[in-house]
Amino acid sequence: MEAHNRNEPFGLKFSTFLLAALLALTAVSPSAQAPDVPSILVSRQLAAREGLTVGDEMRLATDVRGERSRTFRIAGIYEPTPDPMRLGSVPLSVRMHLPDLLALTRDAAVPAGTEHVEAINVALADPADAETFSRDFNARAPGAFARPTSRATDSATTFVVLERFHAAIAAVTVLAATVFLLALTVMLVDERRETVGVLRLIGLPVRRILLQVLVEGVLVAGLGALFGLLLALGSEGLINRFFQWRYDTALVFVRITPRVALICLAIAVPLGAVATVVASWALLRRGGLRLARR
Amino acid sequence: MTGVNGVIVSADRITRIFPMPAGPVVAVRDVTLQVAPGEHIAIRGPSGCGKSTLLHMLGCVDAPSSGSLVFEGRDIAALDDRARSLLRLRHIGFVFQRFFLLPMLTAAENVELPQAEAGVPARERRRRSLELLEYVGLGARADHRPSQLSGGEMQRVAIARALANRPRLLLADEPTGELDQATGEQVAALLDRVNADGTALVIVTHDPALAGRAGRVLTMRDGRIEGEVRQ
Repeated sequence: MEAHNRNEPFGLKFSTFLLAALLALTAVSPSAQAPDVPSILVSRQLAAREGLTVGDEMRLATDVRGERSRTFRIAGIYEPTPDPMRLGSVPLSVRMHLPDLLALTRDAAVPAGTEHVEAINVALADPADAETFSRDFNARAPGAFARPTSRATDSATTFVVLERFHAAIAAVTVLAATVFLLALTVMLVDERRETVGVLRLIGLPVRRILLQVLVEGVLVAGLGALFGLLLALGSEGLINRFFQWRYDTALVFVRITPRVALICLAIAVPLGAVATVVASWALLRRGGLRLARR
Repeated sequence: MTGVNGVIVSADRITRIFPMPAGPVVAVRDVTLQVAPGEHIAIRGPSGCGKSTLLHMLGCVDAPSSGSLVFEGRDIAALDDRARSLLRLRHIGFVFQRFFLLPMLTAAENVELPQAEAGVPARERRRRSLELLEYVGLGARADHRPSQLSGGEMQRVAIARALANRPRLLLADEPTGELDQATGEQVAALLDRVNADGTALVIVTHDPALAGRAGRVLTMRDGRIEGEVRQ
């Protein structure tokens, strides 16, 4: 069962299946149409590839020779729900009413009602009902199993592993950036050693100077984090557009959420402030005269 | 406020030892010295004899390894960094050979800096800064940065900065060391005027002419005061 986040015009009436391996497709002239031609939806990618428009009729068959084909009228063109598991394969698919699907795919020798499907996706009018619906369904239909697809129940799924991998990369990046930041701060602070020395000689206490560099550190780190976020927000659109174009999908590849932004700020600002204070403290341990005399 | 018998700073057998990898170096040993209000003292001696170290201890920049140093009745050894810093800020003026002006600030802002740290209101410290720059003959250069000033002008700004919080003691470490003779003479005359206006002055110098202007001339050798001449 798949809980869709948007309402689709055909709701539960249609099931979706991929054409690529199953069906041969032939566009037919509208003049040859039967009076009760069933309607289908075609994916944007399929419509674009075959030059199909709403109102066109097409013939679908389960084999490449087109035997036992049936004619359908295109009622609409839909954007397939992005599926990261099928990244790279263009979704050339149609959605049709379940009876039409059965009529199309059932072997003539197989009595009606004996066919089976292994899995179907069901879109709920309210995706929030997914948990309740699956519990209710599982209680009523022993032998069938429904689960919401909006969450991964198995902690070892591909995307959980990917997420952990990303977290590890992020941790290593932050660690390396911290070392770089500290080295950079030490250099920047050292450039100001004469100024700091003069301030000490004039009579500014160590604490007063540390407070000043702390404020500077927080401001610089805060501005740096904001700049990083703006850069990420800007590149988010570019990255998404590039990969959506590259793989012809509506899949969102990068998303800067408020949580991500907060984590960035929560790491960057204290890190910048601590790096500044540590570097300054190392400098201020020396006397004012030693600092002023380079 | 002055200390016992009106003395500003009193050093009693102070010694300063610098621990070095090759062994401890005794820069100043058993020096006893008192500076009274309005006094003009010059300290002379060969390089490395400890005169600058003594000056830094008198100015609370450095602390003696042993002995007693009392500034206006306060034992320096008992003060923490903050208290010593505030003492320097409010009661001691420093003039160095290399001026040590902050390059990013104008002459007036350099003079304002110690006052700002002492909590002087902005308008008052602006007025005082311009007054001091007029005093040292640089009223027209208030908005110039150190890079736009000559060596003599920078040293005069440094003197104005040292006087910003009306210190009772001005310490000068080779104040004419980086100046030519004529400019050095101008700075020396300015320091004389500062002293004549009531600020006690202790100058460390190699220059006999500059030392000759002082009321007391101390000669140091190997960390000790070897001789004293009153003029």
